[in-house]
Amino acid sequence: MPLVCLSSPEGIEALCSDLGVDYTDVRILMLAWKLKAEKQGYFTQDEWQTGLKALGVDSLTKLKKALPELEKEVEEPSNYEDFYIYAFQYCLTEEKQKSVDIESICELLNLVLGVQFRPQVDSLVEYLKVQNDYKVINADQWINFLRFCKEISFPDLENYDATQAWPLILDNFVEWMREKQS
Amino acid sequence: MSAQKKKAFQIEAFKHRVVVDPKYAEKTWKILEHAIHEIYNHNASGLSFEELYRNAYNMVLHKFGEKLYSGLVTTMTSHLKQISNSIEAAQGGLFLDELNRKWAEHNKAMQMIRDILMYMDRTYIPNTRKTPVHELGLNLWRDVVIHSYAIQSRLQAILLENVRRERSGEVIDRGLMRSITKMLMDLGPSVYQDDFEKHFLEVSADFYRLESQEFIESCDCGEYLKKAERRLNEEIERVSHYLDARSEVKITNVVEKEMIENHMHRLVQMENSGLVNMIADEKYEDLGRMYCLFRRVPNGLVLVRDVMTSYIRDTGKQLVTDPERLKYPVDFVQHLLDLKDKYDKIITSAFSNDKTFQNALNSSFEYFMNLNSRSPEFISLFVDDKLRKGLRGVTEEDVELVLDKVMMLFRYLQEKDIFEKYYKQHLAKRLLSGKTVSEDAERSLIVKLKTECGYQFTSKLEGMFTDMKTSQDTMQGFHASQDADIADGPMLSVQVLTTGSWPTQPITTCNLPAEILGICEKFRNYYLGTHTGRRLSWQTNMGTADLKATFGKGQKHELNVSTYQMCVLMLFNNADRLSYKEIEQATGIPASDLKRCLQSLACVKGKNVLRKEPMSKDIADTDTFLFNDKFTSKFFKVKIGTVAAQRESEPENQETRQRVEEDRKPQIEAAIVRIMKARRVLDHNNVVAEVTKQLQSRFLPNPVVIKKRIESLIEREFLERDKGLLAQELDNVLKLDFQLLNGEVSRQLLLLLSAGNREEYCEVVRNSIAVGFLGYRRSLVTAISGIGA
Repeated sequence: MPLVCLSSPEGIEALCSDLGVDYTDVRILMLAWKLKAEKQGYFTQDEWQTGLKALGVDSLTKLKKALPELEKEVEEPSNYEDFYIYAFQYCLTEEKQKSVDIESICELLNLVLGVQFRPQVDSLVEYLKVQNDYKVINADQWINFLRFCKEISFPDLENYDATQAWPLILDNFVEWMREKQS
Repeated sequence: MSAQKKKAFQIEAFKHRVVVDPKYAEKTWKILEHAIHEIYNHNASGLSFEELYRNAYNMVLHKFGEKLYSGLVTTMTSHLKQISNSIEAAQGGLFLDELNRKWAEHNKAMQMIRDILMYMDRTYIPNTRKTPVHELGLNLWRDVVIHSYAIQSRLQAILLENVRRERSGEVIDRGLMRSITKMLMDLGPSVYQDDFEKHFLEVSADFYRLESQEFIESCDCGEYLKKAERRLNEEIERVSHYLDARSEVKITNVVEKEMIENHMHRLVQMENSGLVNMIADEKYEDLGRMYCLFRRVPNGLVLVRDVMTSYIRDTGKQLVTDPERLKYPVDFVQHLLDLKDKYDKIITSAFSNDKTFQNALNSSFEYFMNLNSRSPEFISLFVDDKLRKGLRGVTEEDVELVLDKVMMLFRYLQEKDIFEKYYKQHLAKRLLSGKTVSEDAERSLIVKLKTECGYQFTSKLEGMFTDMKTSQDTMQGFHASQDADIADGPMLSVQVLTTGSWPTQPITTCNLPAEILGICEKFRNYYLGTHTGRRLSWQTNMGTADLKATFGKGQKHELNVSTYQMCVLMLFNNADRLSYKEIEQATGIPASDLKRCLQSLACVKGKNVLRKEPMSKDIADTDTFLFNDKFTSKFFKVKIGTVAAQRESEPENQETRQRVEEDRKPQIEAAIVRIMKARRVLDHNNVVAEVTKQLQSRFLPNPVVIKKRIESLIEREFLERDKGLLAQELDNVLKLDFQLLNGEVSRQLLLLLSAGNREEYCEVVRNSIAVGFLGYRRSLVTAISGIGA
């Protein structure tokens, strides 16, 4: 299969236009996940080849066709959490970086959870932009955002218990929501 | 002649009935009947016991027991009917008297009759299961006399009327009442209860209900309780005099219910005289009475205790939030101690040292003392005041008493680590200024703190004492090592403080006067000569100096000042007037400290060795200072140094609190790590509970702060969130290459798993394996049978 030089962000941009997918589309992230790409914005030769094999495609057109399949695969419960965590780690661009800034987190939330959990994401993003306690989000907080969306009824937040092990940022978020609602 | 058989000789019974003379029974009965009549008519003396006994005996022997018994019944009944009539005829007050008399007579008669009929009592009656004579006598009395229509109601009414009269203060014939109630008891406890006691209790309830209503409208609480107590005692006395003992608890219950239980709340909360007022006015007798009375009713003491608790809490809360009070910490704490004493006294003398009340008091103090976040600081200031001067000349026992009382308050503090911080500061000042009244008292308190909080709490404090002692030795060594000419210069006394033990002080700049620098250097060299590898830094903000000063007209005084003040004053050896800026420049003392220092030198009456222009109260950057030639004081030694521990200003207080909060973070983390190391896996609530328990002897950790620490530990990878059993199973399953199974099945299974639907899950898996999907592995089977188990 003719390989475009993918070892650069420009290369990936080109790939995107070929696929008819926007660079910021979540499906690119999904592709990155499938390829197990380590560095944001880059696909190495190995990653590309192994990934394509896993997808069972050997041409661009087939890859394009495989995207919906890929979406479905990601949405499977067993993969979803994995993808979700991957999304966060993908943003850790510096060595030894452990947290991601609020701006990027908000975008990431929109991208990754926006479709399935729109109302939660909207409120959460609003809160994150307004609050001052945290300037970055770490992996532990990130994974708990997903748990929150999955487990807590929204927007009534009835079953949220702050005395449980939820991260403090979510305690504060719930308090903020409750104040807004009253 | 016929052959006649020879018959055996037989004795035949009479062919006719052989009876004793039929009239015999009748005759004998008539004799006995007559005797009974005579007995009832008080003519028994003419009778022969032996003869009558024999007659009765014979009757029974000859099988006439039935006749005898029924005759007895009839005769007695008719006599009792007569007696009943005569009793009924008695008027008014004579009724009881007559009844009593007749009863006594009847008993005597019964005695005699029974003696006569003893043989029947012992043989005929048991055989025929008839009622024995004595009992018969009682039953007949009961049925014919007591339960006769006229007598029954009249008896009850008169008895109750007597009780009523006695309750209103009249004197009644108690002996007579005693006899009557005893009679009823003899007739059977149910007779006593049904004919008398039941009604007595009802009527009493009505009586006390009415009376308590009257009282409660017209009396204050103390008076009411006195009256209730009186009535209660009256009833007890009444029972002992003329009622059956078992009535006591019943009637006291009635009084307790009507007079106390029904009005409990109103009494306790009565305005101006209720429990709260009694406590405030220390009315021990009234309180004691209330305690004894309320103890008798269900939840009585609970009510008293609850009202007392909220009163203590409310007044305590007012005290600790009153800004006027809080201006004077020492008085504030003294007031707390006085309050504690007051309540203790009430509990010991009026509430019979009831443990539950003690506990309520303790929890109340703990509650309101911790409402004010400065309580720990204030207690330390109180102790400082005592150890500085308050305990001067006090005996050892009294010292112990005061310290023990302080410890009691200390125990109520939730933030003991804040107390420790202040205590350290204040102790440092006391030690360094040599202003402690009694070293024994200091040590005694340290020991008490150690007993209460453990070794860690006091190890640093003890370090401070050690430093003082060591410094003394060091000074001796220093002076011995110097040449004699050192005596011409200023005399130096140094305390060498180990950094870790003493409260941390910021290193401040200060230019020591030249006269001092020399000897300070000498000391530094001496010390470092004998202790290598140590660093010394002068704590100029903690020292003192004694200066000899001569004023305008030659008055000489000795001034006791702080090191800073000394630096400032020494400048005036070379200049008569200096501006603020010049002083600041020369001494290098930080502005806020310098201003405070200058204020105490120039603006305090009686201590103004400096003059200030302008003469305003506060120190401004533009002020000028002059040596005060005209200074006078009646004392030779003038103390100007501000050495006593002061109540911190708000911003200082905030700072201290912040430092303590910072100190707490590692303590919380250490506790979390300790707990998790021991438990390995633990849910959040339990972690918080365990951490709180571990730290409670020092402070009460905020659950939010604990959460933050946990998160911090997670970030630093000391802890991790347990993914939970379900997630672990998911992991196991995924690791087993589940995707080799039919995609649809795997999706289904995972949905079941995440929904927690174990049974269905195992069912589907088993079916899949049975159907023989390709690619499953042996390990999958084992894993699944493990999960399904």
